[in-house]
Amino acid sequence: MAYIRKRNRSIFLIFLLPAILVLFLTTIYPMLYAGYLSFRSYDLAKPFVPRVFVGLSNYQNVLTTGDFLHALKITFQLMAITLSIQLFIGVGLALLVTQRLPGMSIARTLLLIPMMISPVIVGLVWLFLYFPELGYLNYFLSYIGIGPISWITSPDWALWAIAIADIWQWTPFIMMGTAAALTSLSPEPYEAAKIDGNTRWQVFRYVTLPQLKPVLVSLLFLRAIDAFKIYDIIFVLTKGGPGDSTEVLSLYIYRQSFTFWQMGVGAAASFVSLIIIVVLITFFFKSLNRDPMQS
Amino acid sequence: MSEITLRNVIKRYGAVEVVHGIDLDVEEGEFVVLLGPSGCGKTTTLRMVAGLEDVSDGNLSIGETRVNEVAPKDRGVAMVFQNYALYPHMTVRQNMEFALKPLGLSAKEVARRVDEIANMLGLSELMARRPAQLSGGQRQRVAMGRAMVRTPDVFLFDEPLSNLDAKLRTQVRLEIAKLHNRLGTTVLYVTHDQVEAMTLADKIVIMRDGHIEQVGTPEQVYSQPDNMFVATFIGSPPMNMIPAQVRERELQANGLALKVPPRFEGRLAEGQSVTIGIRPNGLSLAGAEMPNAAPARVEVTEYLGNEALLDLRVGPHELIAEVPALGRPAPGTEISVQFDPDAIHLFDTETGASLSR
Repeated sequence: MAYIRKRNRSIFLIFLLPAILVLFLTTIYPMLYAGYLSFRSYDLAKPFVPRVFVGLSNYQNVLTTGDFLHALKITFQLMAITLSIQLFIGVGLALLVTQRLPGMSIARTLLLIPMMISPVIVGLVWLFLYFPELGYLNYFLSYIGIGPISWITSPDWALWAIAIADIWQWTPFIMMGTAAALTSLSPEPYEAAKIDGNTRWQVFRYVTLPQLKPVLVSLLFLRAIDAFKIYDIIFVLTKGGPGDSTEVLSLYIYRQSFTFWQMGVGAAASFVSLIIIVVLITFFFKSLNRDPMQS
Repeated sequence: MSEITLRNVIKRYGAVEVVHGIDLDVEEGEFVVLLGPSGCGKTTTLRMVAGLEDVSDGNLSIGETRVNEVAPKDRGVAMVFQNYALYPHMTVRQNMEFALKPLGLSAKEVARRVDEIANMLGLSELMARRPAQLSGGQRQRVAMGRAMVRTPDVFLFDEPLSNLDAKLRTQVRLEIAKLHNRLGTTVLYVTHDQVEAMTLADKIVIMRDGHIEQVGTPEQVYSQPDNMFVATFIGSPPMNMIPAQVRERELQANGLALKVPPRFEGRLAEGQSVTIGIRPNGLSLAGAEMPNAAPARVEVTEYLGNEALLDLRVGPHELIAEVPALGRPAPGTEISVQFDPDAIHLFDTETGASLSR
C-alpha cells in the first residue's frame, strides 16, 4: 500500500487539483482580496480611482461610527431571541413527537416543512401574513381583541416579526436533531427511574437533558452560525428598517459595499465579523471538550 | 410483608396473548427463578411484577395489596436490568444517589446509605467513575447497589448475568447468593441459564410459551420432571428420549427392549405409547449378558476431564452416555450399554406428561 502511495502521489495531486482550484477561486482568493481591500480606499462607483492604502482607517471607521456596533447588537439580540425560543420549542416538540402516540410520525413530517422552504419564500409568506390591514395575522388577532399591530413598520415590532418568521422556519431543525438523539437513548435507565419513583421533571432534568447536551450544543452552534449571517428573510421583510431597527451585520456589510459603494469599509466589517465567528467557534469547541460525556 | 402472588395473570398485546393465566406464589424471603427459553414470557411476567407492563387480566399482589393498578414506585420493588440501565453521564455515586432522590432524605442519610452499600459491594474505590470507565462486572455491581440503596421489599433481576463472561458470571452469581443470604429479601430472578437457576433458586418456575410447566425446588425439577419439556430443558447434556411401546411388561423401542421398572408396574396399559427418558448418567458400560443392556456403537467421545460423554447409536436411536473418563471406549467401538432401571423416566408420548406420579 505504502509503495503504491509513493508511486501515485503525483496522481493524487492531479485528482485533488480541481477541488483545490475551485476552493481557491471561490473562497481563498476572494478572502485574501477582501483582506487586501480592507486596508484600501475603494469606491465601487469610481472604479478608475486608484485604490489607495489607508492603513487601519477602514477598521477605525467600522469600530467607531456606531453603525457597525448597532448592527452587531441587533444581530446578537435576534440570535438570543430566536435561539432560545427555538431551543425551548424545538426540544418540547421533540419530546412530543417521540412519544408513542397516534399520528406522531405524520406530525413529525409536517413539522419539517418550514425548514424545506427557501428563506426568501418564507419572507414573502410572512410579508403577506404581517400585512397591516389585509394580513391574516392581524385578522386573527382582532378576534381575540388585539388591535392591529404594525408588525414590520414599527421599530418596536419589526425585530420580533423577523424573529417569529425565523423561529417558524428553523425550530423544526432543533426538533429533528433532538428527536433523533432522544430515540437513540437507551430506554432502560428510564425504566429504572420509573421504578425508583423519580418524577418526570427529575428524569428530564437529570437523565435526559445531560445526555442530550452534546447534541443540543451542536445544534445551537449550527443555528448560531446561520443566525449570525441571516440575510434573506430580513431583506424581504424589512430591508433592515424601519430606520436601522433590524439592520443586522450582513445587511450592514451589504449596505456599506453595495449601497454606499464603500468596498474597503465593507471588507473591514466582514473581517471583524469573521473574527467574531472564529471566537465563537473556539468557545464552542472548548465547551465541548469540557463536556463530561466526552471523557 | 413481601410475598408475591399471581392469580390467573394474563398479558395480551392487542389480540396476541403472551402470558396465559399463570398462578404463582413467592414466599417472603424466597429466591425464585423464572426459567425458560427465549420468548416464554418470563421477562414479561417479571415486568408485570415491576409495574413496567400492565396486567391484562388476573390478580397480582405484593404482600396483602393488589398492585395491578399501583405505580411501579409504590410497589416496594427494585430491579436490576440485563443491560445494567445505569445513567451514563453520572458517576457511580450519583447513580446510587439518584435512586434515593424520590425519598427526600437528608444529604447525610443519603451519603450514609450509599457508602454502606458501596462498602458491602466493594464499590468504594469506584465511586467517582462513570459507567463507561467500569468493567462489566463492576457495572453489574453498581446496578445491584443502586437497587439495594432503596432497601426494597422485593428484588427483581432480569437476566443480570447474561452480559458477563463465563468466569465473571460464576463470581457474580456467588455474590448474589451471598447477598440474598445476608439480606433475606424476596427475589424474583429471570434467566434462561439453567445453571444459574439450579445454583441460586429456592424454587424454580419453568415456563414455556406463556405457561408455567413446573414449579419446584432445583432437586424436584431435575429428578422428578413433570413432563418431557422440563425433562429435556433441565440438565446438560439433556435427557435422552426414546419413543417406545409397552408390550408384555417390556418397553419396546425399535431394536431395544427394556423391562418395565417395578415402580411403573400396573400403571401402564398394554400397547400404550410411552417415551423413555434417561439422563446420560443413567447409562453405563456393561457386559452383554447384563439385564436391561443393549448393544451400541460409539460414534464420538467427548473428554471432559473427570467424565467423558459418549455419543452412542443404539439401533436407530442416538443417545448420550456419561461415563468415567478413565477407560472410556474409543470411537467406533462396539459396546454394550446398560439402562439403570431406577434412572428411567416414562412419559405419555401424546401428552408429554410424566407417568411417574
